[in-house]
Amino acid sequence: MTVFLFSPPRQIQEWQPAVDIYKADGGWILKFDLAGVRLDDVRVQVRQRRVTVSGIRRDWLTEDAGCRHYSMEITYSRFERTIELPDNLSQSNIGLDYRDGILLVRLLQEKESKTNE
Amino acid sequence: MSEETATTKLYPVLPLKNTVLFPYLLMPLSVGRSHSLAAVQAALGTEDKEIILVAQKDPAVEIPAKGDLYSVGTKAVIRKMARPNENLMEVLVMGVERVTLSNLVNEDGYLKADIAVLPLPEDQGAETEALHSSIVDLATRAIELAQPQAPAEVSRMLASSDDPLRLVFLLASILSLEMQKEQALLEAASRTDALRLMHEYLSHEVQVLELKTNINNRARTEMNKEQREYLLRQQLRAIQQELGEKNPEQAEVEMLREQLSKVELPEDVKKEVERELGRLDKIPSASPEHNVIHTYIELVLELPWNKSTDDNLDIAHARKVLDDDHFGLKEVKERILEHLGVLKMNPNAKAPILCLVGPPGVGKTSLGQSIARALGRKFERMSLGGMHDEAELRGHRRTYIGAMPGRLIQAVRRAGAKNPVLMLDEIDKLGRDYRGDPAAALLEILDPEQNKTFRDNYLDVAWDLSKVLFVTTANTLDTIPRPLLDRMEILRLSGYTEEEKIEIAKKYLIPRQIKESGLDAEKVVLPDDTLARLIRAYTREAGLRRLERSIGRLTRKVALRFAEGQAQSVTIQPDDLVEMLGPEPFTIDEMRKNSPAGVVAGLAWTETGGDVLYVEGTLLPDGSGLTLTGQLGDVMKESARTAQSWVWSHAEELGIDAALFKNSGVHIHVPAGAIPKDGPSAGITMATALASSYTKCQARSDTAMTGEITLTGLVLPIGGVKEKVLAARRAGIKRIIMPRGNRKDVRDIPEQARNEMEFFFVERIEEVLENAIPGVASRLQLMHV
Repeated sequence: MTVFLFSPPRQIQEWQPAVDIYKADGGWILKFDLAGVRLDDVRVQVRQRRVTVSGIRRDWLTEDAGCRHYSMEITYSRFERTIELPDNLSQSNIGLDYRDGILLVRLLQEKESKTNE
Repeated sequence: MSEETATTKLYPVLPLKNTVLFPYLLMPLSVGRSHSLAAVQAALGTEDKEIILVAQKDPAVEIPAKGDLYSVGTKAVIRKMARPNENLMEVLVMGVERVTLSNLVNEDGYLKADIAVLPLPEDQGAETEALHSSIVDLATRAIELAQPQAPAEVSRMLASSDDPLRLVFLLASILSLEMQKEQALLEAASRTDALRLMHEYLSHEVQVLELKTNINNRARTEMNKEQREYLLRQQLRAIQQELGEKNPEQAEVEMLREQLSKVELPEDVKKEVERELGRLDKIPSASPEHNVIHTYIELVLELPWNKSTDDNLDIAHARKVLDDDHFGLKEVKERILEHLGVLKMNPNAKAPILCLVGPPGVGKTSLGQSIARALGRKFERMSLGGMHDEAELRGHRRTYIGAMPGRLIQAVRRAGAKNPVLMLDEIDKLGRDYRGDPAAALLEILDPEQNKTFRDNYLDVAWDLSKVLFVTTANTLDTIPRPLLDRMEILRLSGYTEEEKIEIAKKYLIPRQIKESGLDAEKVVLPDDTLARLIRAYTREAGLRRLERSIGRLTRKVALRFAEGQAQSVTIQPDDLVEMLGPEPFTIDEMRKNSPAGVVAGLAWTETGGDVLYVEGTLLPDGSGLTLTGQLGDVMKESARTAQSWVWSHAEELGIDAALFKNSGVHIHVPAGAIPKDGPSAGITMATALASSYTKCQARSDTAMTGEITLTGLVLPIGGVKEKVLAARRAGIKRIIMPRGNRKDVRDIPEQARNEMEFFFVERIEEVLENAIPGVASRLQLMHV
């Protein structure tokens, strides 16, 4: 080995869904872009001030559907995204809402809790 | 990650060339091989886009089979895929976990395999930790060395990575490791193994990098040193300017300029020097050129352009100086005084070029010094003996390193005047080779018409040599090229007579040697007869060197006696010489007495003076013709033949029986047999010897002869009369027969010798025979009557 070059550092992460963070009365609402992910394959975890959304996006338009990839930009396979918020969330109620490929995670104070899952 | 530990599903396999994909790492790939394209396509057709990447053992194999692949690979997920064209896929893959392959098959146009996940080792311990931190250090160092401007992310990533294996994989992908090494890392059975391998690679890498950096640094420092010096010099210059000082180079140039303004130079020379000074200003002192120019200007300024010594034109004074220094040599002295006279009348007269020719030790060189002294000029001497390079006389062009002006310019510079007496010693011993012919250069130098503008190659401006009085010396004129000879006035210094030698010894040699031995003049006495014996028996030379050496030996022997306690002065008698100097090396050429018929004394000229030469002829009882021995040259042989023909043709007049010529051969021998002899001047001697042999009449033993003979019996003049006569006198011969044409030369013979000898000047061989062979004389007279 005589050549010694640095390639640009590569990401050592799984793919990360995009997220919008909303500040709401008495809590937070996180909106994850999880297009094409089956809700069954999503796992949400809340610990202290952190919210982690992980899972897997599987491609359902497989060969069985009688077509093949010509190119691919959507990332399938595992994903994981951890958001750290300023408040301790252990006392919050967690509400999940999945619509049109968007996952809403509501984190609201207990006194106003409506949903529980 | 571990829910699929055991699976029977067949995964598509993508063989990798020259690289290994590690878990946790993203890697872009270009896929072009058809089976690889098929494998990727198959992976994309699945739900989770998983594919197995495994390195090929030999990158050259196009379609690898089972044996061509390593058994440990990496399961990866295809993240993105694009097709720049139909037959190429750009794929971004991400390593997930390492797997072992089994049941590799080629199906549906691509490789498929069963896999079993090979979990990454999880071992921990002191060694792993130590290796981990050591690797972080090494990697940081390597990054510093190789890429000081590397993104900060990299170092941060190195530090933050708490899983040592992840770090190893990251580093492996960053370092361009060889594929085999990467594979070894991937297959590592324990973290310790992987860390150790990586540690090894990194240490090596750091060493190489450090070496490389050292080399670069060294190169940089060297350059910096030069720059630094330059800067310092500039600063020094600035400081000197501030202080109003000049830097040494400028000061030097200023000094030369000042000298130039003081010296009177011809206009064109002045221009040349100013031009060179201008160049000197511009050239840095470190350049070799600088030195060359500097030396040149110094030389030009030092030369005596307008300096000359005033000639002492007092002729009486000059005559006195010459007489004091040298005994005899009347002709030479006269010539020098004549020149002085001319100079007195016409100060611009061209100096003559004298050539003193004579045997060694007759005082040619010291005469030159005398001339300078008599004229009140500077004297410089240079020996041309063995000189074979024209450049020695004329100098080297300044373009050559170590160029110097020629010897003439150097001599003039030493003399410090433009009119010195310049002695060119041994002009007959000039050499010549491929570097040129110094004699040709001398042609210009010694030509009064040309040497006014003598151009030395180094000096490169004309120099006037016409005021120089050239005196050359030579032992013989034979080796001097004719054109050169033409330019010179030949003055012959032939040998001294015994009387002259005694005179010179008493006047110069003895006082000098006594002084050298540390004696007083009255302590040693050398009477005239002792000197005469010394000259005759211990030295045989035209000059005086050997005589002076012999006197030196005598005075040293006397000095030894005084050192041993002798009190009274010593008188050396002739008989003491054998005791003091050993047996006499030369037997005196005594005249042969009572020699038989056929023996005749001849006279010869040699470089060291003259010699008496006996020609021996004898009749042989049988045979015919002429035998010649004694190392005779062609000219001499021919003249012997001429002599014989004349004798034969005049047999009747001489009273010789003509039958003798037919019935008996004749042999002529000229001793000494070992010395080569040549020349026509023994012609009459041989004729006389033959006549004596045939007539059986003895020749007179007190008579010697010299002269060329012709077939009709004429006697032609010859050279070297003075030497020959002196040699005859040494041998005790009283009568000399010589050609009438040589009568004028008798004036050269010292009076004493002239008075002692009887000369017969002859025109015809009959006259020779009349005077040399008494028996024949009577017959010839009879005939005349």
